[in-house]
Amino acid sequence: MVKYYSSFLITIVSFGIFSCASDSEYVPDPEPETIVSPVVFNIENVPYQSLSEYNFFEGELKNLEPVYGVLPYSLNSTLFSDYAKKKRFVWMPENSTASYINDYSSLDFEVGTVLIKNFYYDNVQPNNNTKIIETRLMIKKETEWDFANYVWNDEQDEAFLTEDGSFVDLEWIQDDDVKSTNYRIPSQSECFTCHNKFGTPVPIGPKPQNINRDFLYSDGNKNQLEKWVEYGYLNSSYPTIINSTVKWDDTSLPLDLRARSYVDINCAHCHNEEGYCEYRPIRFAFNENDNLINMGVCVTPDTNIDNSLTHIVAPNSPNESVVYFRMKSTLEEYRMPLLGRTLEHEEGVRLIEEWINSLTTNCE
Amino acid sequence: MKKITLLLMSFALVFSIEAQTYVQENFNTGIPVLWNITDAGDTTGDSWYSGQIDGDSLDGTNAAIVDSDAQGNGPHLIETLTTPVFDASSAVFLYLDFDQYYNNYSTDTAIIEVFDGTNWIEVLNQSTDIGAFNNPNYKHIDITAYKNANMQVRFVYDDNDAWAWFWVLDNVHIYNSLCNNPSNIAVASVTESSAIISWTPGGSETSWEVVVQPAESGLPTGSGTTVNSSPYNVVGLAVSTTYEICIRSNCGIDGFSNWICGSQFTTAAAPAPITFTEQTISTTGTNRAVVDMNGDFLDDIVSINSTNINIQEQQIGGGFIEKNITTPAADFTPSWSLAAADFDGNGFTDLLYGAGSGVTFMKANADGTAFTEISGSQDIFSQRSNFIDINNDGHLDAFVCHDVEPNVYYINDGSGNLTFYQGAQYDNGCDAEPTEIDLIGASGGLGIYCSGGNYGSIWLDYDNDGDQDMFIAKCGGEEARRTNQMHTNNGDGSFTENAAAIGLADPMQTWSSAWGDYDNDGDMDVFVGASSGTHKLMRNDIDTSGVFTEVTSGSGILTLTDTGIENVTYDFDNDGNLDVASNGNILFGNGDMTFSVNENIIPNGGSFGDLNNDGFIDAFGGSIYMNDINTNNWITINTIGTTSNINGIGARIVLETSSGTQIRDVRSGDGFRYMNTLNSHFGIGTDTSIISITITWPSGIIDQILNPSLNQTLTAIEGENPLSVDEFLVNNLILFPNPTSHNLNLSSSYNFDKANFSIFDISGRLIVKGKFESNTIDVSKLQSGNYILKISNNNVITAQKFIKK
Repeated sequence: MVKYYSSFLITIVSFGIFSCASDSEYVPDPEPETIVSPVVFNIENVPYQSLSEYNFFEGELKNLEPVYGVLPYSLNSTLFSDYAKKKRFVWMPENSTASYINDYSSLDFEVGTVLIKNFYYDNVQPNNNTKIIETRLMIKKETEWDFANYVWNDEQDEAFLTEDGSFVDLEWIQDDDVKSTNYRIPSQSECFTCHNKFGTPVPIGPKPQNINRDFLYSDGNKNQLEKWVEYGYLNSSYPTIINSTVKWDDTSLPLDLRARSYVDINCAHCHNEEGYCEYRPIRFAFNENDNLINMGVCVTPDTNIDNSLTHIVAPNSPNESVVYFRMKSTLEEYRMPLLGRTLEHEEGVRLIEEWINSLTTNCE
Repeated sequence: MKKITLLLMSFALVFSIEAQTYVQENFNTGIPVLWNITDAGDTTGDSWYSGQIDGDSLDGTNAAIVDSDAQGNGPHLIETLTTPVFDASSAVFLYLDFDQYYNNYSTDTAIIEVFDGTNWIEVLNQSTDIGAFNNPNYKHIDITAYKNANMQVRFVYDDNDAWAWFWVLDNVHIYNSLCNNPSNIAVASVTESSAIISWTPGGSETSWEVVVQPAESGLPTGSGTTVNSSPYNVVGLAVSTTYEICIRSNCGIDGFSNWICGSQFTTAAAPAPITFTEQTISTTGTNRAVVDMNGDFLDDIVSINSTNINIQEQQIGGGFIEKNITTPAADFTPSWSLAAADFDGNGFTDLLYGAGSGVTFMKANADGTAFTEISGSQDIFSQRSNFIDINNDGHLDAFVCHDVEPNVYYINDGSGNLTFYQGAQYDNGCDAEPTEIDLIGASGGLGIYCSGGNYGSIWLDYDNDGDQDMFIAKCGGEEARRTNQMHTNNGDGSFTENAAAIGLADPMQTWSSAWGDYDNDGDMDVFVGASSGTHKLMRNDIDTSGVFTEVTSGSGILTLTDTGIENVTYDFDNDGNLDVASNGNILFGNGDMTFSVNENIIPNGGSFGDLNNDGFIDAFGGSIYMNDINTNNWITINTIGTTSNINGIGARIVLETSSGTQIRDVRSGDGFRYMNTLNSHFGIGTDTSIISITITWPSGIIDQILNPSLNQTLTAIEGENPLSVDEFLVNNLILFPNPTSHNLNLSSSYNFDKANFSIFDISGRLIVKGKFESNTIDVSKLQSGNYILKISNNNVITAQKFIKK
């Protein structure tokens, strides 16, 4: 009984839809509005003299609230910069997409792409507030990447294009500790020193191995590679399995993966096939450093700093390891990385110390 | 009759066999079918096989291998390799010989058993590492006690379920010997040329044969030296060579045993011509220099921190007095390098601190008790720094290598002002053409590669034209960035980079080079020190072929495989031949572009000078390494400029004795990081007199001191011993017309092609200098007066007077 009733109902409803209006009065559904990024970017005129000119952020500049088109991202393990915190964003011109090359190389970005990296500290003394120090841009121009660094004013309402390096004295509270540094803002030539392969400027962070992770976006958690595809920023043809770095400070993960990830992001920009120090017998890039020899284990150093430092990495013996000595040092002529830090990264040093102590190889 | 013959024959047969082999296998083509492989444990297919491990073996050929590592973390391996059955019942001595590399991991074992006719008896149980690839452990096991007609030997590997390593076996030889090998071969009392060897006889033999050969030469094929007792003294060996001993027993009618080789030893290096004794001294701050600070020409030890200069001041009569001079806070400290000189000419030495983000000068006051701090605002990633009069105006300028940009320098106007210059200005990155290259400081810049790569700058006159050129050891990055450069001084305020034309454009990785006249032929040669890779030696042939010639091969420098960043040259043993100090090692020069190496005799990184005024060069690197001296003679020249800069930096000193000629250029800043003495030191060996010392100052003034006393310090003040040009006037150098108003022509009985010439007024002041292109010089621009034309051709000077109308 019920059966017949409902089909009758359906028939009536169907008739209803198709008899509501005549063809001549058919109004199509309205198109959804196309959202255009409000970022200001004229490739002939960049870099602009001040950060606000790009209109990357809405509201108060210091809130770093990205406009549409400015997509935040993070990396599995990040470079140590005297404990500065970072906020990273990427912006691309309309209809631009980046493409996958391989797991361990920067994505192939189109002309007009801007990589944005803000450096800041919380709980800066004496006012215990947040202070943004600099915003570094890499801009993909027609021929190659360009660098532009913006140094923030004390009022924190603007940042100005600066080619010269400088120092900022800072004191801040971190985990109940008062820390201080003479923070180094790099000169243009210092940018190039790390961000180059045999003379060609290159990004370091945005490699699939590093951005293959979740990020908490305003609309929820998502894998960054998937998000970039959705956003139209990444070509969807990339492999399902990517040999990825991990968070170096996640103690639930294997020690050697953590150590390798740390060393990749802090050291591999120079200690790789086309970096300035490619002539040293170590290869610290993640896709090469699963090999103990590439990590310097039982390798004698080219430069004898002291007879007590017998190998680049001496298994189970941090005090005889050049790597450990250089990571702990704050002297300009010995510290590693050479540029980018002036303080010792205590937590990173502890990680590497633990890793060295876990090695059982006999150097012979 | 027949019976007897047969007996005689068999007798002969038995005794003509030295040894009877039962089993001999090298596994090169596989494991023979008659051998038995027992594949037990958790899985099969993981037992013994013939091959190599990643290309490695014991002697370059295949071996028998059981590999737990290759199976991964899982199966328990119990793998046995057993020889064929053999009848050893008639053996006199029965030996099992083999080579092995057993790489033990933890609980795994490598055991050898023999079958004695009834049971398997263990003869060797191994549970620790033994042997190595290409240097196996040789085992010689006496199994005579177990001989029987149905004998076998087996090799049992059990990894006890650990994920262990492997056991490599080769050259298994089971044989009957009538003559047993010697054993327990030992080496003692190894010197540069001899060693004493001893051994335990194999049996009752009283004669042996010995071969001492370079290590890993393989078994001897012929006979050796007959030796009739142990120990035995081996002589006539070469220095610093690794040898091995091979020995076999001579059992007379029983023949010889097998050769056994091993017991590698290395002869000592030839003793160093000079030794050093360490002496402690305390310093405060970062050690950076051995240089005179207070104007008494005695080298002091200098250590720096940002508010203090710590000086261990050498005293006349010996010893040091420590002085700490508080300075205004230095914006930059000498982390990367320090240079020293008296750039304001007040008699007290000033300092340059080269840091990673700037340069600070410390200028001493009129009595050396305080310093003024001068820091530039420029961002400089300093490397090597030098004081040098770049524009030859008599005032010392400063040059600083820049790691990541074009090089920088500071021109001193003589009134206390240092003006900063940087060679090339680039718009927005290194791909653009330079927008301006400074034309005032040193036209053309002094190393303008956009992204730098400048490590070791050193100033010297390589082309003997009387002005200072600059060589830069470069490193890092693409080839163009790291190719070394020579900036040739054109004599007119400009420099031209021409390393490629003279054979020095080398992309090798180097942070510093040691420049000196290593063959005493009157021009500067160079030892380019590798920071990675191998060192190079280049001989200066500019005056003959126009280039530097590589003479590394055969020079002996490749014995030094140690790399690093510090390379300087001094005569440490005072024999009159320059030596090279390279990262704690000294290459002692023989005066002919060959060197002998003595390693680790001075500090790795540090400064050099004479710390006890005894005429021998000492070193300082945290502690003093005082030269133990010898009886060789010496002289040290302390230069005081008057028209030229007060230190005489840039002066060429030529020393002549009956043995020949030595040269030095006075320089500030060599090696990479440290500052060394400003005094010019010569060793003269056993020469008992010096013919002359000739100093050509940057001003062009030439002083000559004849027959100076040896074994003393000579203070030479510019202009006080002017070279008498009369001595060089020669009859056959005719200048015409003379007097002249326009051109001066030279008679052609002289060959002066490419020779340098200088024109002096009668007071000895240099007016003009140049290089001959033809036999005419244009003198139209000279003021009227009397002049002397001096021609210098390979350190041979001729001169003639002329008058300009």
